[in-house]
Amino acid sequence: MSASVAAAGEAPAAARRRPRVPHLVRFLAKRLAVTVGLLWGVTVVTFALVHVVPGDSATANLSEQALNDPALVAAYRARWGLDQPVYVQYLRYLWNLLHGDLGTSQQTGKPVLSDLAHYVPATMELAVPSMVLALLIGTAVGMLAAVRHGRATDQVVRVGSLLGLSTPPFWLSLVVLYQFFYLLGVSPSGGRLSTDFSPPPTVTGMYTVDSALAGQWAEWWDAVQHLVLPVLVLTCLTVATLIRFVRSAMLEVLSTDYIKAAHAKGLPGFTVLRRHLLRAGLVPVITVSGLAFAALLSGTVLVENIFGWPGIGQYAYRSATALDLPSILGVSLFVALVYTVVNLIVDLVYGLIDPRIRLS
Amino acid sequence: MSVTPRHARRVGATLVALALATAATACTAGGAGGGSAKTLTIDTSFVIKSLDPGHVYEATGNTTVHALYDTLLTFHGSDMTKPQPDLATKYTVSADAKTFTFTLRDDARFSDGTPVTADDVVFSLNRLRNLKASPAVTVGGLTASKTDAHTVVVRSATADPNVPIILTQPYTGIVNSKVVKQKGGTDGADAAKSDTAQKYLDGASAGSGPYVLKSFDASSQVVLTANPKYWGAKPTFSRVVLRNMDVQNQKLTMAKTTGAELALDLSGKMLEGLPSSLKQSSADDTFYFLTLNADPAVSKVAANPAFVKAVRASIDYPGVAALFGGGATPAAGVVPPAYPGALPKSEAQHQDIAAAKKLLADAGLKNPTVSLMYPSITYRGVDLGTIATKVQGDAKKAGIRLTLDPQPLTSFLDKQRGGKVAMRFSPQSLNYPVAASLVNNLAPGQGTAATTGWTVARADKRVVAAGKKVQDTLDPAAQQAALQDWQRLLNQYSPYIPLAYNSGVVVAGATLTGAEYAPAGWQVDIAAVGRK
Repeated sequence: MSASVAAAGEAPAAARRRPRVPHLVRFLAKRLAVTVGLLWGVTVVTFALVHVVPGDSATANLSEQALNDPALVAAYRARWGLDQPVYVQYLRYLWNLLHGDLGTSQQTGKPVLSDLAHYVPATMELAVPSMVLALLIGTAVGMLAAVRHGRATDQVVRVGSLLGLSTPPFWLSLVVLYQFFYLLGVSPSGGRLSTDFSPPPTVTGMYTVDSALAGQWAEWWDAVQHLVLPVLVLTCLTVATLIRFVRSAMLEVLSTDYIKAAHAKGLPGFTVLRRHLLRAGLVPVITVSGLAFAALLSGTVLVENIFGWPGIGQYAYRSATALDLPSILGVSLFVALVYTVVNLIVDLVYGLIDPRIRLS
Repeated sequence: MSVTPRHARRVGATLVALALATAATACTAGGAGGGSAKTLTIDTSFVIKSLDPGHVYEATGNTTVHALYDTLLTFHGSDMTKPQPDLATKYTVSADAKTFTFTLRDDARFSDGTPVTADDVVFSLNRLRNLKASPAVTVGGLTASKTDAHTVVVRSATADPNVPIILTQPYTGIVNSKVVKQKGGTDGADAAKSDTAQKYLDGASAGSGPYVLKSFDASSQVVLTANPKYWGAKPTFSRVVLRNMDVQNQKLTMAKTTGAELALDLSGKMLEGLPSSLKQSSADDTFYFLTLNADPAVSKVAANPAFVKAVRASIDYPGVAALFGGGATPAAGVVPPAYPGALPKSEAQHQDIAAAKKLLADAGLKNPTVSLMYPSITYRGVDLGTIATKVQGDAKKAGIRLTLDPQPLTSFLDKQRGGKVAMRFSPQSLNYPVAASLVNNLAPGQGTAATTGWTVARADKRVVAAGKKVQDTLDPAAQQAALQDWQRLLNQYSPYIPLAYNSGVVVAGATLTGAEYAPAGWQVDIAAVGRK
């Protein structure tokens, strides 16, 4: 009897489990289709925008004197295919894109794909430690503010996070440079390495990782020192957002009955905090963290400019000012891809953290 | 929650530990950079796309290429009086200023050890012309040929006594033709389409200059190392790093520097507060001017000569110059003082509000209103919006209403070229260090003039004749005198109102020597920088 019950019980369970893999596959397939559609949309919108905004690529890239010579302007347009009708330019771009060719940058003269491979790791080197630090600090301080709700600590944290949110990145960058480089002399002024060092052999493109892999410890230490200030600025800006979300999410969970019940049962406060509060409160935080990470990867242009950090933000800025269409499209596609992938990861992590989402 | 204070303390302790770790990381950093004894660091806000002499025209590119490639002639420091020998030991000019014969030195070597020959010179100059990139416009009428292994003849389609000066420019740098051809370079007529050497020349140099290219990243830094085969005097620094650095950061860095370091973008107000121990070198090589559209179809007010004169009389020129900071001076004409042919300071314009009002009244212009477009940028440390606002305020005193129209740089350039702008304000530098070249650009019907509706038909005949005289005069001294006459007429009859001159500045560490600002086009001669 027990065997038959068990068998009867296993069969529906197996039946319930079986569709899970196809569901996941279907889910991923749908997301892939949406991603492809999104990327195509990005190419259309970016292409259109670049052609409707005032300004001309030849004006942005030729000297004033050269612009007075029609032969030179014509040679420039022919070289970059700008003498073709816009729809021909677009179709050609799309065809090349389907073959993995993002075109050649007008400002660097190199394939856009190779430019992205060069600049993205530099930004990753800033974004990853900034995000890790922001998550650690943001979660801890947000929780602290929530559990001390209404007290002085909470007020200080709220004001602090509001200040962080309202602080312009370029201003904060200049302030930390002034303080830590100029006044205290404890930090380098900018760049990724001191001028005495050469970049380590490229493996990942992240100097701290590559120098460690190469065993170049002097370069590694120098690269770490150059990371400190820009990471500090980016962490401050990201942590301000996270603190507010963590605090708000935790306050909501703290008011639920099961937390009150856990306390009433006499569970130690830290256990309640770690096992019940943290897990439930993290779900909305994950969404914000994902978006914050994507923003770090795509929008650090001001910080990169001030610290002389050759990342994707600076590349995007230079591309935009030079109306360098292949590079602008390359960066736009990269940013769209980052947001799509990060959102996908966030959706998958939801399922891991919250069983209700996994089941639904 | 009863336990939260304890855990709050734990959280606090963790945060303190993190902060200490960060501080510990930072503690051994610091210093202003400047590198070791053998490294020279140059901080500048990069304006660079390529290090191929055939394509280079931006400021940072010119500075770098000048150190990598020798030219036939050159200038030393800020002395712009006469081109000096470089790869050419001497040159002769034909009476009609159309044929220039250069004798090459026989000991010059490229960085791979091969000798520099006439074939390399011919290839380099013809490739430059046929690539049809930005710098090609300057050499469009020039053709190079060789007479023997050490003699090159450059012919100009038109009489031009300034060809030797053009041949000092970094883009006329001589490349190793054998190497460049191997890498896809060509000097053929179809070079604009078929030459593929730029990619190679952006990663390695093929010149005979004092330095060779070690690495190039247009976003972060350019590294040069001394050329072991250099034929001339060995440079003091065996390694040079040009760093891309924001202007504000340059100021902080130079204020702290104790090493071999210099900055190229600090000028005007940005120089205030720097330690007096730092060395500064400058030359007024840029002018800032207003341009009014002479086409009545664009603006009847702006095209009215009386209105132009009234605006000219309303400006407080010393007040405008003061906004640029130390070193800037009121403009006397369109040729900056760094170049032969500039008007003396005594001829600078003066404000006369009463005269401005009378001019408007006589012309029947009551409360005239014009839009003033300018690029919304900070140029050489000065926000151009500040200058435009000052001009607006001065004009208002005479009863002229200027509405400010700031534009992003690309839009400004595009609209400027469209020719439909009533009035604009912008900085202007020479494309190459020949003041007479301004005639090609500013004379009626030419480049800038054409975008302001100032045609030959609309111009005063005396101005047209004076411009032609500058172009026809072959003797350099006589040409400079003609340039001055031309500028005096521009100040009376043209739609241009020069406001002020400003300078490029090299700020160098106290221990450096030879860090002199070069108005010739390359900002600083890197190889000339030494140490006390």
